[in-house]
Amino acid sequence: MKKAFFLLIVLLVWDGVAFSQTGTKKKRPLPYEYGRVIMNNYSEKAGLAPVVFEHWLHRTKFTCRLCHVDIAFAMKAGTTNIKASDNMNNYYCGTCHNDKMLYGQKRVFGSCSAKTDSSNIRRCERCHSYGKNIKMEESFVQLVEQLPKERFGNGINWEKAESNGSIKPMDFLEGVSIKRQHLAVQKDFSISSKVVGMPDIIFSHKSHTAWNGCELCHPEIFIGVKKGATKYSMVEIFDGKYCGVCHGTVAFPMIDCQRCHTKSIQ
Amino acid sequence: MNKIKISVAVLIAAVTLTLPFSAVYHGAPDIVGSVYSQDNWKTEFEIVCAKTQDPMTLSPDELRMLISRCDQLRTLIDKLDETQRKVYLRRLQMCKDLFSFVLESKENK
Repeated sequence: MKKAFFLLIVLLVWDGVAFSQTGTKKKRPLPYEYGRVIMNNYSEKAGLAPVVFEHWLHRTKFTCRLCHVDIAFAMKAGTTNIKASDNMNNYYCGTCHNDKMLYGQKRVFGSCSAKTDSSNIRRCERCHSYGKNIKMEESFVQLVEQLPKERFGNGINWEKAESNGSIKPMDFLEGVSIKRQHLAVQKDFSISSKVVGMPDIIFSHKSHTAWNGCELCHPEIFIGVKKGATKYSMVEIFDGKYCGVCHGTVAFPMIDCQRCHTKSIQ
Repeated sequence: MNKIKISVAVLIAAVTLTLPFSAVYHGAPDIVGSVYSQDNWKTEFEIVCAKTQDPMTLSPDELRMLISRCDQLRTLIDKLDETQRKVYLRRLQMCKDLFSFVLESKENK
């Protein structure tokens, strides 16, 4: 009896410790959900469903820099505060979604309109689709079939897709982007791992600047330009800081350790 | 005399009426760019922020000059309408922050 009571106590203590460390377990998004952003600063107040933004669809066409630097979308979801009037004035989503811009042979559908009659509701629902059964024109399954595979995130190796030419994301939008000279690539460098046995990280400036330029990461995300100036831990990264701003939300997630910890152990 | 006055008035009216059309023609080479490329501040903005491409090659004096130009631009952008102001203040801030950050790292070397 005493033994059973002791075991029960041990079990209860163990459960307490386990839950206090992990908290509520987050549901891992499905591949087609990974990178999804729900925008609801003003939608529901205006009687519309929140906007569902799919990163997987847009990153096949544009670099991160084009949208987050040239079009000025903030890096943190919900902080851009896009209003319908902004889109109507051809900014933010309305930069491309204006019923006029052509992407290849296809006209990009318009975003917000001052007309809210029933004929326009279908147009609104193309973006304001949260909680609704709206079928997208583009198929995630078909896209995945065409691109290099990856274990986590969207199940797509975006870096490889870009380097082997499977996708050619645009980095310049006439009239919006600044005409820049060719980007000088900084050298790759290694970041020491703090865990014994875990390989060091080889950070590739080249693969990051191809998508982001300089100003997307410095100094908003990484405040030190000199190697080692920014101190951070995996806990902070998992908390959505530093590398975790993108890796865990849009770029491949941190559970794929081998994607970053690549330096061979001597 | 009256005839001349009327002719001049008609001519002025005609020129005034055609001006907006010529502006639209020249100002809208592409649909996307039309709202972005209307004012002189935009040229200065593009010159300054184009330097973000390779900031490590700039000298501290050049960086200081660029930061000062960003501050001057800010006063112009502050006068724009709400949407333009929101977009361009963020873009300008990113440029300025990058220049300040590179300058600081060069000075701390």
